[in-house]
Amino acid sequence: MFHAKKPSSMNGSYENRAMCVQGDSGLVLTTDPKPRLRWTVELHERFVDAVAQLGGPDKATPKTIMRVMGVKGLTLYHLKSHLQKFRLGKQPHKEYGDHSTKEGSRASAMDIQRNVASSSGMMSRNMNEMQMEVQRRLHEQLEVQRHLQLRIEAQGKYMQSILERACQTLAGENMAAATAAAAVGGGYKGNLGSSSLSAAVGPPPHPLSFPPFQDLNIYGNTTDQVLDHHNFHHQNIENHFTGNNAADTNIYLGKKRPNPNFGNDVRKGLLMWSDQDHDLSANQSIDDEHRIQIQMATHVSTDLDSLSEIYERKSGLSGDEGNNGGKLLERPSPRRSPLSPMMNPNGGLIQGRNSPFG
Amino acid sequence: MNYPYEDFLDLFFSTHTDPLATAASTSSNGYSLNDLDIDWDCDFRDVIESIMGDEGAMMEPESEAVPMLHDQEGLCNSASTGLSVADGVSFGEPKTDESKGLRLVHLLVAAADASTGANKSRELTRVILARLKDLVSPGDRTNMERLAAHFTNGLSKLLERDSVLCPQQHRDDVYDQADVISAFELLQNMSPYVNFGYLTATQAILEAVKYERRIHIVDYDINEGVQWASLMQALVSRNTGPSAQHLRITALSRATNGKKSVAAVQETGRRLTAFADSIGQPFSYQHCKLDTNAFSTSSLKLVRGEAVVINCMLHLPRFSHQTPSSVISFLSEAKTLNPKLVTLVHEEVGLMGNQGFLYRFMDLLHQFSAIFDSLEAGLSIANPARGFVERVFIGPWVANWLTRITANDAEVESFASWPQWLETNGFKPLEVSFTNRCQAKLLLSLFNDGFRVEELGQNGLVLGWKSRRLVSASFWASCQTNQ
Repeated sequence: MFHAKKPSSMNGSYENRAMCVQGDSGLVLTTDPKPRLRWTVELHERFVDAVAQLGGPDKATPKTIMRVMGVKGLTLYHLKSHLQKFRLGKQPHKEYGDHSTKEGSRASAMDIQRNVASSSGMMSRNMNEMQMEVQRRLHEQLEVQRHLQLRIEAQGKYMQSILERACQTLAGENMAAATAAAAVGGGYKGNLGSSSLSAAVGPPPHPLSFPPFQDLNIYGNTTDQVLDHHNFHHQNIENHFTGNNAADTNIYLGKKRPNPNFGNDVRKGLLMWSDQDHDLSANQSIDDEHRIQIQMATHVSTDLDSLSEIYERKSGLSGDEGNNGGKLLERPSPRRSPLSPMMNPNGGLIQGRNSPFG
Repeated sequence: MNYPYEDFLDLFFSTHTDPLATAASTSSNGYSLNDLDIDWDCDFRDVIESIMGDEGAMMEPESEAVPMLHDQEGLCNSASTGLSVADGVSFGEPKTDESKGLRLVHLLVAAADASTGANKSRELTRVILARLKDLVSPGDRTNMERLAAHFTNGLSKLLERDSVLCPQQHRDDVYDQADVISAFELLQNMSPYVNFGYLTATQAILEAVKYERRIHIVDYDINEGVQWASLMQALVSRNTGPSAQHLRITALSRATNGKKSVAAVQETGRRLTAFADSIGQPFSYQHCKLDTNAFSTSSLKLVRGEAVVINCMLHLPRFSHQTPSSVISFLSEAKTLNPKLVTLVHEEVGLMGNQGFLYRFMDLLHQFSAIFDSLEAGLSIANPARGFVERVFIGPWVANWLTRITANDAEVESFASWPQWLETNGFKPLEVSFTNRCQAKLLLSLFNDGFRVEELGQNGLVLGWKSRRLVSASFWASCQTNQ
């Protein structure tokens, strides 16, 4: 831009530009190969006066300002760009640094003018501010993610307690039903029938016992919770589906096809994702988005520890590996992590019973 | 495919299948059902006849269709009730699922019209419903069949209710609490539908009462109280020790809904108290029994210095519905409490002004087909857990809605929408925060593609499935909240 304009408006003053300070006019030019004019406070005041004389920034033109100011060495080019900034309400603050002791009244007058000039809302924030804003938003977003997960978990936990109590009151009935199912089922899913039975006759849950709150934050426990609460589902659903065939009795959340790995699927719990075969691309794109956010956050964040913590939590939230919901606490790097050894239905059950829910 | 009103349905659906319309349809829910109604009247008889006459012919494609369903697993799984939005419904192309789906829609609409319309005929309704029952069962393999089964059941119940002199509360499907909770939890895991309302409202409450020492929430319909678990968790993580905010919840229960619901509200109170204790949240609970649907603030216990929040969740699957008049009574009385915040979450269906019963019926069908499709994205239709949720929740939900749109003409038509009602009745909108919008988007990212969240003015968020709005949340304050 600079070069493009030079030939038209700058030719006349070009020879002056090498100078550092221009005599009594007090003009200060930088000494780089492309010298710029330094708009000192005095110079700016004269400029503002001239603009005011000429009827405001919208009426004044560089040419008329040059005439009114009458400063030697000041070029149309300088005035043009300064006027432009002035109109936009953009002030080169730093340039006044060495004259900061100067009066406040003038400055406030300037501010007013600037505000008038920027009534169009063009006063743009400087880069620093923008960066802060971006950073703030990113942090906010990560916070939101963290909170969201905690809230969903709190709800899940609460519902768990209701279920537990409801199941307790129904234990007798369920036991009968489960026994009947196991007996009538014959060839039908010996393991499922017995799991239902054992769930029903297992140690009765305590009435309204809530685990300590800290558990909500400890992801190691999530596995147990998720498992446990699906045992209840399982138990219930099973009672309703005893007539169906074994494959149909499997609960596979978010899957398009039956998956023999019952325990694995059931563990999806809170964070449910569709089958990777079907929606891998969708999940991946979402996940990538999260990753990008995280990367951006690392650029702006100085607190890497807290960030990695958030990251870990976030991984649970974004949960791209929907097939191992029990591993919420892992980073999402292995897209399909191997199945946990404890994921068969019976193993799951046993673990479930050791969970804080008893 | 030669029904006289085929073209209308085609037109009707095409507003949804057109991607441009999909993008643009956010502001206008404009189905051109007026047109449908007009032609309906003159062509209707023919339609029924052609449907009835077609019965023999329909058997053939049906018997073909059954084995083919398995071959076309992919097609079925990709979901469609054939009705919904943006799924690229192609009429007349495959002769199996979709044409059957369309037939089902025709029969349903015919049944609905026969049961209530100008040409009301109980016999005709019965015949059509009998036909529908032959065609579908709740165990069917496609979305549309399942949906049609639920609607058929709902319509049959209406018919029975009208005909039998002793209106026995006919509940062949009463589910115990464990079932309901299991289904509720499964539903939450399948779809953001429930949690969108809960968590968005919770976040708005948290923001509104940030600097209050004592919070008093008056909950219109507390259900199991699941929403408050997340609020308590958030309050606890926000402040502990002496700065802890005290939370008081007043839950309403209505004698009109039976003793069971009163007991349930009490039980919810016990649970919430126990939960609050377990996480160290200062909490108290009041139960406010209403003898009628009318609400009065005099029945509330009020404490000076408490910030009042009015919470109104109207979007949940429900077995006994709250009439709009009861909500209106609640909100207009609650306004005198000068609430800091009024949260309102409601279904985007049914209350669409005086478009007539058939319009509302079609709207309902659309709503539920969208809900079905969205569930399909979370859990395949073949999954027993899905069938379980449908039986426990969706069947009764559909039936309930059918009762509403049939019975409450005057009530339903008395206003256009809840937000509009609030705005014209002394409430002012409160802006949705960035955090809240962000949270809603994150929540959706936990589920499959197809859900989206959109802003509704300054103070509302809408959860949609494809181009169909499902549920919206909006935030208000009483206009006098200047002090």
